[in-house]
Amino acid sequence: MSEEILLKVENLRTHFHTKTGIVKAVDGIDFELHKGETLGVVGESGSGKSMTAWSILGMVPKPAGRIESGKILYHGEDLVEKSDDEMRAIRGTGICMVMQDPLTSLNPVINIKKQLTETLELEYDEDKPSLLQRAIGLLSSVNIPAPEMRVTSFPHEMSGGMRQRVVGAISISRSPDILIADEPTTSLDVTIQLQYLKLLKDIQEETGVGIIFITHDFGIVAKMCDRVAVMYAGHIIEQADVVELFDNPKHPYTKALLKSVPDLDDDVDMLPTIEGQPPDLANTPSGCVFRDRCPNPSDDCKEGNIEMAMIEVSPGHWVDQCCVNCGEID
Amino acid sequence: MASTDNSLIKVNNLKKHYPVTKGAITKTLVGTVKAIDGISFDINKGETFSLVGESGCGKTTTTKMILMSEPPTDGIVQYEGSDMAEFTTASRKEFKSSVQAVFQDPWSSLNPKMRVRDIIAEPIVTHEKATNNEIQERVNELLGVVGMHPFHAERYPHEFSGGQRQRIAIARALSTRPKLMVLDEPVSALDVSIRAQVLNLLKELQQTYELSYLMIAHNLATVKYMSHQVAVMYLGKIVELGNPKEIFGDPRHPYTRALISAALPSHPRLQRDELVLVGEVPSPIDPPSNCVFRTRCPEPTDDCKNGNIEMGLIEVSPGHWVDQCCANCG
Repeated sequence: MSEEILLKVENLRTHFHTKTGIVKAVDGIDFELHKGETLGVVGESGSGKSMTAWSILGMVPKPAGRIESGKILYHGEDLVEKSDDEMRAIRGTGICMVMQDPLTSLNPVINIKKQLTETLELEYDEDKPSLLQRAIGLLSSVNIPAPEMRVTSFPHEMSGGMRQRVVGAISISRSPDILIADEPTTSLDVTIQLQYLKLLKDIQEETGVGIIFITHDFGIVAKMCDRVAVMYAGHIIEQADVVELFDNPKHPYTKALLKSVPDLDDDVDMLPTIEGQPPDLANTPSGCVFRDRCPNPSDDCKEGNIEMAMIEVSPGHWVDQCCVNCGEID
Repeated sequence: MASTDNSLIKVNNLKKHYPVTKGAITKTLVGTVKAIDGISFDINKGETFSLVGESGCGKTTTTKMILMSEPPTDGIVQYEGSDMAEFTTASRKEFKSSVQAVFQDPWSSLNPKMRVRDIIAEPIVTHEKATNNEIQERVNELLGVVGMHPFHAERYPHEFSGGQRQRIAIARALSTRPKLMVLDEPVSALDVSIRAQVLNLLKELQQTYELSYLMIAHNLATVKYMSHQVAVMYLGKIVELGNPKEIFGDPRHPYTRALISAALPSHPRLQRDELVLVGEVPSPIDPPSNCVFRTRCPEPTDDCKNGNIEMGLIEVSPGHWVDQCCANCG
């Protein structure tokens, strides 16, 4: 990991204008991604993790969705200001995404060779045989056995793990600086998941690509990430180095989440739980978004007197100022 | 296998083979998929029996045969001492009402056009003679049992979150006062903060109603948290069987060890020793002879590598059974 900053997100707000009101999917988040670093973005469904990724890629569904404010600085340029054509050029070469489901992100009626070379064509001005060689090279770089034979197969002829590696191969084919992985392993078996995570790490070591890993699984965070941002209802409520976050979680939500996950190395009779549900994003509580579920809120938190804002509790460890004083579950 | 009088379901040398045919009219037999190939186990009253293994290892086929939705090719399943294959119409009906299932995805397992009341009442209407008032009372009671309110009965599934929908699915499964519940990945589609709530609910229900669970799950920590007995399956065979303390504390089969090593760590400092299996699961149409695991065994003994040893479980410590071939592999 180096000090070079690849991506800097400042006060990003992505809102959706719907009939029932304004849905604040992402509501003021800040983070940085360094070269060769893996940033984990953890949160429940609807917490805004995927919308953060879409915002960075300039793919917020229009016209309902809109980036209301904020900056996404990539190589000193603000991606929010870019036109659709400029963003298209950045996607793939600069920032690339690995989708959740390899079955739907590959075209079922086109063979792997075509799907790989159509991306490679954009990058290299070469004839077909040499593009094919590059495609075979890519497949072998993602550890697909017998790539010369596999390159002519169709997605349905491959297993889930292999398909996910093909998707991985496509996303690294134009050597991007940043890889956004949106739960890429949820549909895979545990042993295949491990192979895939190792592959991502190897690619990172070789190329220094910065990875934003979107997940709801703290196990993946512990395995893969250098730094973690915990999202809740459109806000980042805690951000720290991975070891610091697991050792010293400060926000009651992070604490409760970490405790509520069953642990293979530990015996418990009953897991502690967080009561309630995440709030409706069209109608978030004023002040702290977590206050309805806060297990032991301070008086100011309960009343919603404190605005959300991050404070640094120790170097590199940022927590939302409201809940830092609230207690945890008993 | 250790047989106790406390067993609800007894499975003995169960097999399920599917023919693979070629040609639309002639249907020539070209092979047999050995989905399940001779497994035996007991499910005790009031206990959770879990099946773990990668996709395609036969977990779901096993549950289908226990639910009587697929007839076995060979072998015996006994329910409370009587052979399922010899059920009379009456006893089959009784069996069907005392076995219920909860599925992975509460978005597709609840009919979107039915009110919650009708969803929960459906099994009661099918299996029992009850008046409308009685049904109404039962539905209200069941909603209370799963931690929901009577006024939820008039709503439709889309008005609920994933966790609440899974609660509705559990209430539906409980409605006929079953003795066995099949839980197929009951929490993997739910958010992390909701998973613990649902797992705890299942545990409480088990204690209150002396329910037996047959659970399928990928997440080993969840399996450990819930189970009394765990069977590790590979290519249609049980390769290791025992209580979770033994299985996860002292795994004997190399496949179990590989599964555990692929489980994600609970803390970034607790990285497991990685035991990555090479390749993927062989095709069940043409599995390796004798020991099915020998093609992927990381350190096979000579006998294992050459396939000299028949598969069969041996007891290595009380109640802990391992396949005899790989018990000695490194």
